[in-house]
Amino acid sequence: MPEVTYREAVRDALTYALRTDERVFLMGEDIAEMGGSMGVTQGLLDEFGPKRIRNTPISEMAIVGTGIGSAMQGLRPVVEIMYEDFLTLSMEQLVNQAAKHRTMSGGQLSVPLTIRTQGGAGWSPGAQHAQQLESWFVHVPGLKVVFASTPEDVRGLLWASIQDENPVVFFEHRTLYPIKGEIPEELEPIPLGKARIHREGEDVTVVATGRLVHESLQAAQEAENDGISVQVVDPRTLQPLDEETIVGSVRKTTRCVTAHEAVTRGGFGAELAAVIQHGAFDYLDAPIERVGAKFGPLPFAPALEQWVVPHAADVLDAIRRTVARS
Amino acid sequence: MAVEVKLPRLGQGMEAGTIVRWLKSEGDQVAKGEPLYELDTDKVTQEVEAEADGLLLKIVVSGGEVDVGSTVAVIGAEGEEVSIQAPAAPSGTDTEEAEKPSEKDVSRADSSSAETQAASAESGALEKPSDDKSQGREGADREARAEAGDAAVAGAKESGRVKASPLARRKARERGLDLSTLRGTGPDGRIVAEDVERAVATLTAAPGVLAEQPAPEVEVVELPSIRRTIARRLSQAWEAPVFQLTVTADASELGATRERMLGQLAEGEVRPTVNDLLTRLVAAALVRHRPVNALFVDGRIRRYSAANVGIAVATPSGLVVPVIRGAERRSVREIAAARADLVSRARDGKLQREDLDEGTFTISNLGMYGIDQFVAVLNPPQVAILAVGSIADRARAVDGRLELRPTLTMTLTCDHRAIDGSEGAEFLRTVKELVEAPALAL
Repeated sequence: MPEVTYREAVRDALTYALRTDERVFLMGEDIAEMGGSMGVTQGLLDEFGPKRIRNTPISEMAIVGTGIGSAMQGLRPVVEIMYEDFLTLSMEQLVNQAAKHRTMSGGQLSVPLTIRTQGGAGWSPGAQHAQQLESWFVHVPGLKVVFASTPEDVRGLLWASIQDENPVVFFEHRTLYPIKGEIPEELEPIPLGKARIHREGEDVTVVATGRLVHESLQAAQEAENDGISVQVVDPRTLQPLDEETIVGSVRKTTRCVTAHEAVTRGGFGAELAAVIQHGAFDYLDAPIERVGAKFGPLPFAPALEQWVVPHAADVLDAIRRTVARS
Repeated sequence: MAVEVKLPRLGQGMEAGTIVRWLKSEGDQVAKGEPLYELDTDKVTQEVEAEADGLLLKIVVSGGEVDVGSTVAVIGAEGEEVSIQAPAAPSGTDTEEAEKPSEKDVSRADSSSAETQAASAESGALEKPSDDKSQGREGADREARAEAGDAAVAGAKESGRVKASPLARRKARERGLDLSTLRGTGPDGRIVAEDVERAVATLTAAPGVLAEQPAPEVEVVELPSIRRTIARRLSQAWEAPVFQLTVTADASELGATRERMLGQLAEGEVRPTVNDLLTRLVAAALVRHRPVNALFVDGRIRRYSAANVGIAVATPSGLVVPVIRGAERRSVREIAAARADLVSRARDGKLQREDLDEGTFTISNLGMYGIDQFVAVLNPPQVAILAVGSIADRARAVDGRLELRPTLTMTLTCDHRAIDGSEGAEFLRTVKELVEAPALAL
């Protein structure tokens, strides 16, 4: 199996989609000549031309609105919102239009639109350019929400999202673009709604998304040195959610930590905790621990930014709390 | 001079009580007669008053079951040294089943005794321990450790609820294990699954204690104090060699008498029940047949001249038997009023110790449930109990003809150690006569 970066894996899925499905086109700010702010779409303009790789003005509402319209007209648009912080500008189109048309038209219309975006702390871009807002979209029926954490997953999930008949908000984490991982020779779609067990364990389940999957794997390794066996599960798609795998894992391990970079309060971990306590109530041996960012706007100062968002040490602390003894 | 507060004997037959909670804290000033702690005994929960003025120097037993006469606290003057060790838990209590304290608890007990010593050193009135004490030190320490373990259990239960994880609860439920007997090792003393597993392992290691593994669909009811008492006393009763005598009486007159009484009631007066009349009639029979109006205590029979008739009352938490004293001297109306008061307080759990003490005989009436007749179990140390069935029209031979008459069947259970068959029969015959002709007694 070839080894590629997360960035290359995204590009590979886009290239494959553009080659195999002529309805697919890309649209976004600086995605053509510049190849995107993260360099994901580099080289695509040369192969597919300006009709299918389209630069847009700085107008997120128009980008998503155009995506919705062309999707309803039978195309398969993949639009890019440069920073997920700017999804706020396209909220009306996403929440009131994209999410609603299929049901409001009684199925006469569908919106097979993929909205790629990225965010996350690590480069100190400040409070308006590094947020993690994925849980907002989980609250909107009609939207699917994907958050991929590895090259293999981001490639397979993006391909599945482009093929999906519904609008999919597709989150990437900017610090993951350079990480490397093996991918299958053939691109197979990874079904939305299927979690991935990254590591088997017996004592504690960590349900993590995005960057925190990697932090959690590191914490699990360190916990093992203390004799604590940790299972790490990545839901990969937040909506639909693979409750069966997650609840099943906690029923086995009897303890759970949720981990994401987004702010803890009202974060996706809250939804996970609710699902888990209901599905595994009689199996829980400790309160569910949540790991997330501290409740404040992300500071610009690099040291403070790192202090606000969680790392492997925070996950490890939470793991230890679940197995603590008085 | 420090005064030791000892657990009082609040009634006959009381051997131990359960301290529910302290109403004063260590260091509080207490006055004689002030409520000091709440005690749950066989029959009631009541406040126990301080017997001396002074400073509550030490609470020796913070909660749980304690034998009568054990020191539970010390009241004295500021600065006085306290050298009381907590008593061992009384035999047969739940705590025995809890496993031995772990190393952790030992260290906790050590540190707490160190604190006590430090405190006494500060007070500047440190007494030299006598030789006896130093010799007994090891044993006392062990007791203190056991107590430390108990305190941890009590701590977890302070709010009246055992702290346990859902998993631990499920496992305990499946294995029929009482969580309140376990000590939690989780954060804040929470019982976690591992604690249950360990207890099950300990119990199953002892053969026969917990043979079966999961027993689904079983509701495990922990015995509250009252239920424990019922269980203990009725098991005691089972040791007595008993015999039963049954008689059926014509209840026509009894019913008619009651009707007349109801017609004469003043506004707001309690309506006498059949059982109120029976209480009065049985009391009259009891004073005529004193062998039946007796207690069997320590191999001796104690016969009473007054008929203190207990009436069995079902309450939400279990059976209680409040007593109507001197029922032979009271009118049916007085008995009805006393009964109504006792029953309503019994159902509210507000009976006082004196409401339950000194019964000499018990009537148990299940007639209102349509029970024709039944056998009651003795209420020790009383030597007899009367089980009363329903009044209903039944076929009966009257002057050579078959007639439908309201009848009442009563069964007397007698402790043969105290009563012979003829004595029981004579009493029951009198009861029957009085039921059929209540005017003879009223």
